Amino acid sequence: MSENALPKSWNKETKPHKFCPGCGQALALKILGHAIDELGIAQNLIYATDIGCSLLSWDMFNVDTIQTHHGRTVPLCVGFKKAKPGAIVLSLTGDGGGYAIGAQHLLNSVMRNDPITIILINNANYAMTGGQLAPTTLLKQKTTTTPKGREIIQGRPFKGPEMLAQISADDTYIARGISTNYQQLLNMYKKAISNQIDGRGFSFMEVISMCPVNWHTNAQESLDFSEIEMAKVYPLGEIKVPKALT
Amino acid sequence: MPTKIVLAGEGGQGVQSVAKIIAIAAQKSNKYSSYLPGFGVEQRGGVSLAYLQISSHPIPYPQFEKADIVVCFCSRAVSTVKKFIQKNSLFIYDDSAIDNKSLEKIKSDVTEYLAIPAQKLGREKFTSKVANIILLGGIVAHLKEINFQEFENSILEEFASKIEKKPEIKDLNLGALKAGLEIAEKFDKSKHLFEGVTPPEIKTAFSKDKISWTRFPEYCKGCGLCIIKCPVQALKFSNEIGFLGLPMPEVDIQKCIGCKKCMQICPDGAIKVEINP
Repeated sequence: MSENALPKSWNKETKPHKFCPGCGQALALKILGHAIDELGIAQNLIYATDIGCSLLSWDMFNVDTIQTHHGRTVPLCVGFKKAKPGAIVLSLTGDGGGYAIGAQHLLNSVMRNDPITIILINNANYAMTGGQLAPTTLLKQKTTTTPKGREIIQGRPFKGPEMLAQISADDTYIARGISTNYQQLLNMYKKAISNQIDGRGFSFMEVISMCPVNWHTNAQESLDFSEIEMAKVYPLGEIKVPKALT
Repeated sequence: MPTKIVLAGEGGQGVQSVAKIIAIAAQKSNKYSSYLPGFGVEQRGGVSLAYLQISSHPIPYPQFEKADIVVCFCSRAVSTVKKFIQKNSLFIYDDSAIDNKSLEKIKSDVTEYLAIPAQKLGREKFTSKVANIILLGGIVAHLKEINFQEFENSILEEFASKIEKKPEIKDLNLGALKAGLEIAEKFDKSKHLFEGVTPPEIKTAFSKDKISWTRFPEYCKGCGLCIIKCPVQALKFSNEIGFLGLPMPEVDIQKCIGCKKCMQICPDGAIKVEINP
């Protein structure tokens, strides 16, 4: 038996992890694990999770982990960073926590340019509770609370990175990646974390994910929905890069 | 004292349906019953647990720590039900699905047991989907205070909407119940050792000249992303199953070009591709 293929920073005792088969968030976390390995920061990292599917990763990594109320990971991270400026604070949140209940924290943190890294998983629904409408749900997409598809009266899909880019300082790193593009996402993670390590400022990443269970899709349909449908509405790429990182 | 029953299996094996059927049948026989489902936060792939109590008096609290009957559907649930086993608990298990390695963990705790080859019998005589009802037959044999007719009625009630679409489901389930009951009544502990199946050896490593491709059955959830991402269609689902009971991919190593796309896309870290220099 050869050695397993898991990232070194993953906690091997808790694997297989709790995510559903084909989950994009698990994939995003695997690539984050590789980024942590390559940067060699596991010893100095504080990992914060939100409520929602991101909570399922509380024992994912072999690093110190904190957890808080729905949407409050950003102020928690800011507080930790203020108390211990040497720590690398990384937060994982969902689209519900970041763009709905915790939106004001995210906005104010960007305005203050706090030196923390936020990774937001966008799977276009509230996955843990059974697939309800989220701020990021696409127009015409069916969820359990919009059985006929999202209509314009329920709001347009929320473009977080674009909005944050408008109010952010020059030293902010803002990007949008997709869980299925390994190399691009790995590079973005490394930039987002090193922006914090170098003490420049706020780093924000949105990761487009897949939710086969709540989308009711098979592997092919999940890939198509995230790589084609979602990427059409949420363009991929780096939105704001500090000069030092270019 | 109420009869306390705990049932455990993979989510989707029908653990909750069985518990519901027993609870309803008990109430129809003028008994008190309580049924409490218990599963983790995961939507897919967790162990599904059901707490069940049957009594001739009102039941004060639906949960309990030790059970009189422990029913186990799959290998992974064995360590979950370990804590419920007490002296003289009856351990009902599927000896065609649970492997010896898992049973070894509880061998010292179990004194009374009943083995029913539910998966095997289901596959051979009915369909593998009625394995839970075959195990229900085993439980029924030890619930003499409930009228057998009521079990049949509550099965028909539980699956009413499915029977409407597919009438043959009725006979399959009722046949499975009787088959399970028959095995349980004939079961002789002295002639049957406390053992399950020996899991088949699964091939994990595939290799050609410089490329070695490895899969990890203990991590593979069978999502199929690797099969679609493979640029040369070298992957397909095999007959071997991973730990969730879903088929795992296998590689046609002659077609493999060693691009590592499958390794990169796997959310579970269940594939490893190495290029040897």
